[in-house]
Amino acid sequence: MRGTRDRVESAALPLAAVVTISLLVVMFFYPVGRVLSEAVWIDGAPTAEPLLEVLADPFFFGVLAEAAADPSVLWTAFRPHQFGPVTVPLPDYRLGLFGFTAYQALLSTLASIALGLPGAYVLARFEFPGRETVRSLTAVPFVMPSIMVAIGFIATFGRNGVLNGVLTAVGLPRVELLYTLPIIVLAHAFYDAPLIARVTATAWESVDAGTAETARSLGASPQRAFLDVVVPQLLPAILTGALLTFIFSFMSFAIVLALGGLSLATVEVWVYHRVQQLDYTTASALATLEMVFSLLLTYAYLRYEARQRAESAARPAPRKPLFGRLNLDRLAVWGYVGVAIVVFVTPIASMLLASVTGPTGFTLDYYRFLIDRQATAASFQIKPLTAVRNSLLYGAASLAIAVPMGVLLAVASTREFRGRKLVDTLSMAPFAVSGVVVGLGLLQGLVFGTQAFGYRITVSGAVAVVAAHAVGAYPFVTRNVAPLLATIDRSVVESARTLGASRVRVLLDIELPQVFAGVVAGAAFAFAISIGEFDSTVILASGSSAYTMPVAIERFIGRRLGPATAMGCVLLVVTAVSFLVIDRLGDGRGM
Amino acid sequence: MVRIELEGVQKAFGEAVALEGVSLTVEDGEFFTLVGPSGCGKTTTLRTIAGLSDPTAGTVRFDGEDVSDVPVEDRNVGVVFQSYALFPHMTVAENIRYGLRFSEPPRDLSADERVQELLELVDLAGMGDRDPDELSGGQQQRVALARALAPAPDVLLLDEPMSALDARLREQLRREIKRIQQELGVTTVYVTHDQEEALAVSDRLAVMADGAVEQVGTPVEVYEGPATEFVASFVGENNLFSGTVTGRDEEELVVDVAGGSSEDRTFRVADDGPTTYETGADVSFCVRPRDLSPEAGENRFPVTLGTAEYLGGTTRIYGEWAGREIVLRLPEPVSGDLTVGFEPGDATVL
Repeated sequence: MRGTRDRVESAALPLAAVVTISLLVVMFFYPVGRVLSEAVWIDGAPTAEPLLEVLADPFFFGVLAEAAADPSVLWTAFRPHQFGPVTVPLPDYRLGLFGFTAYQALLSTLASIALGLPGAYVLARFEFPGRETVRSLTAVPFVMPSIMVAIGFIATFGRNGVLNGVLTAVGLPRVELLYTLPIIVLAHAFYDAPLIARVTATAWESVDAGTAETARSLGASPQRAFLDVVVPQLLPAILTGALLTFIFSFMSFAIVLALGGLSLATVEVWVYHRVQQLDYTTASALATLEMVFSLLLTYAYLRYEARQRAESAARPAPRKPLFGRLNLDRLAVWGYVGVAIVVFVTPIASMLLASVTGPTGFTLDYYRFLIDRQATAASFQIKPLTAVRNSLLYGAASLAIAVPMGVLLAVASTREFRGRKLVDTLSMAPFAVSGVVVGLGLLQGLVFGTQAFGYRITVSGAVAVVAAHAVGAYPFVTRNVAPLLATIDRSVVESARTLGASRVRVLLDIELPQVFAGVVAGAAFAFAISIGEFDSTVILASGSSAYTMPVAIERFIGRRLGPATAMGCVLLVVTAVSFLVIDRLGDGRGM
Repeated sequence: MVRIELEGVQKAFGEAVALEGVSLTVEDGEFFTLVGPSGCGKTTTLRTIAGLSDPTAGTVRFDGEDVSDVPVEDRNVGVVFQSYALFPHMTVAENIRYGLRFSEPPRDLSADERVQELLELVDLAGMGDRDPDELSGGQQQRVALARALAPAPDVLLLDEPMSALDARLREQLRREIKRIQQELGVTTVYVTHDQEEALAVSDRLAVMADGAVEQVGTPVEVYEGPATEFVASFVGENNLFSGTVTGRDEEELVVDVAGGSSEDRTFRVADDGPTTYETGADVSFCVRPRDLSPEAGENRFPVTLGTAEYLGGTTRIYGEWAGREIVLRLPEPVSGDLTVGFEPGDATVL
């Protein structure tokens, strides 16, 4: 009796590990590998031609491609710039697609820092009712469907958007912001400034007040003490956040596609464009180069982040009350709060407003359109309710795959064994590979079919979409669970072992109940990621009925804004409700 | 209950050697303590007995049976850790009951009855429904003890179980652990860095240093007859002297405590050690502070007194003689210079 149970239990973990690794291979490594091989393998022979072609094309690499043929352009391509009375020769370089992608990512990073740091200051140094809530809200943009944010920005800054409405009302000329770089940068800041605010605020709170006080007692002014003692302790966090922001902005897809179009295309958008034109070779070559770059950046990020991780029992400086006599400090903070409301609240509010505003005022026509279209849609058109149903279905399916996978990888990453670092890195790889690439890989590898063991294996678009969503979601489960697992006292586990519990029993009885809150949080994130996923879904759903709400929104944007905003609102509600439901389900059972 | 034997147990963590050939026997029902400074290998030894640490070499036997390959969950040991290690998501009663999922309670008791019995044993009757974080540190440690004892383990292993508690609570709890251990007669191995605690609770103890056992014996044997310089200085306070044997008569050695200074002098010490010292041999001996007294008639030498610590009823005084630190225990604080001596029989040759 005992013997059988023991055998089953001792086999359970390795078995689960094998299943997880197989899933990862099928859903992620093989498809991505397919994209790579497409770029370096033509007609059964290895070749560097597609890569070299891209590298040497000024369209993609701008001045760098030209410099490969003629290095002198690097110092001849200068143009006089007039700065008041002085003329300065500045480089007049063509950036190319990659250069532009990096350039907009850099601008986005700077904007995110500019918008995020004051937020960190408010969160870390001021006390006000709802501070914890605001802090939790900084995690929200991270899981907000990117296409929904894009719709919000169009509703706010578009030709007939809220901003122009306000400008017209006060007698000012309209502005045209859509399809400009600033709007893309602002949308990226919408996503990443909260991230920078959160990581910096966390670092700020762990700065021991004693360090600044010591500097003061040694003769430094408050400003001097801040610069000399506090800022150096914040820099690593800011850099970490900046690196992440750069990576995210570099790989951003839906925002750029919707707000920039092809005229402001980034690498991601161009890959998508090539896929649409069925030019898979160029798409693969571009994707490969992009992946190499983003993997390098992610590696740098992980290395850097690992060095920062340190628990400290610091005594933080007391917070200042936010409400009180108005001084320069508070005035600046209130000014920032105003800006933050415009940037973070207006897009969502504008989307809600636009979805119920017609040419003649309040209307529910756009929602009615969604329902009518369900009945009247032609076969090539999107049925709105089907999109909702698909989104929920795929969300549930991805949840069912991503949660066990993520938990298992979290368990693996907190155990001591050889190759742990490798598991750690591999399990985070989807963070560094863009959704478009995963989608492209799944399309080529699984949807178009693959030859294995003498059979032709093809999967339907729906299955491929679920695979893509699960791949995008499980790192969030792992990231939510692993830190909690790591805090469990090793002797708690050992106590259970000495009392007779097997390795698996300890995991089920002792460890998982203690990290249940993390599992629930991870599940909520996973579901939200799936519901909002656009990058790979739009590729996999093209020409099939496996479309989701974000895909539906993108289809509508091109035609009429009203239905797109209405669909955006439905997406917002579904995302928010599922988040709350999952959170409520977890209530009381977690610690 | 079992008799535990360790034979030539070695443990290396990569390059670092934690244990180099530890051999020990813990008798059935004995309260046995492993004591030594941090890093001496005492916890590794305990974890090896538990099966939480696999020895690089050597064997562990329970009642003569080699258990080296028996996994921890099948060794039937109860372990109490310094951090209590209670399961935070379970109540006190659920914590105690956990081990009963994997083995039958003793004496045909139901699991509930067994839990009640243990709650009473550790004086926590009625607290079964509390959550661990509602308890004080001392109470949590009792729960940890009850949890370890619930499946009636053959061996009870205690790893510095009281280091996190304050001094008064520590003394109270250690009396209680001792009482429970005697009541149950369970073979117990106790790890501590506190030599006073080791002397107070143990039937026998092993003093460890640098991954090896320095001496095994009863508290009296170890305190009164330290086998090595390390034991002499680690267990209780001691004054260490080393020199050359210049002569011997009857049961005493004459030792010239070297140093080359003008204050060289000879002491007469009782020759009761295991080694026979010939004239000219190097020898060390130690004298407890309480045995250095101004009244002693022999082996007198002048001490320059320094810091005095009044400890209530007795005073510890640090002094100096011939460049050596000398520790005295006198009834009252004294300052200035003082000539003290000791009886040859009070010196222990190492």
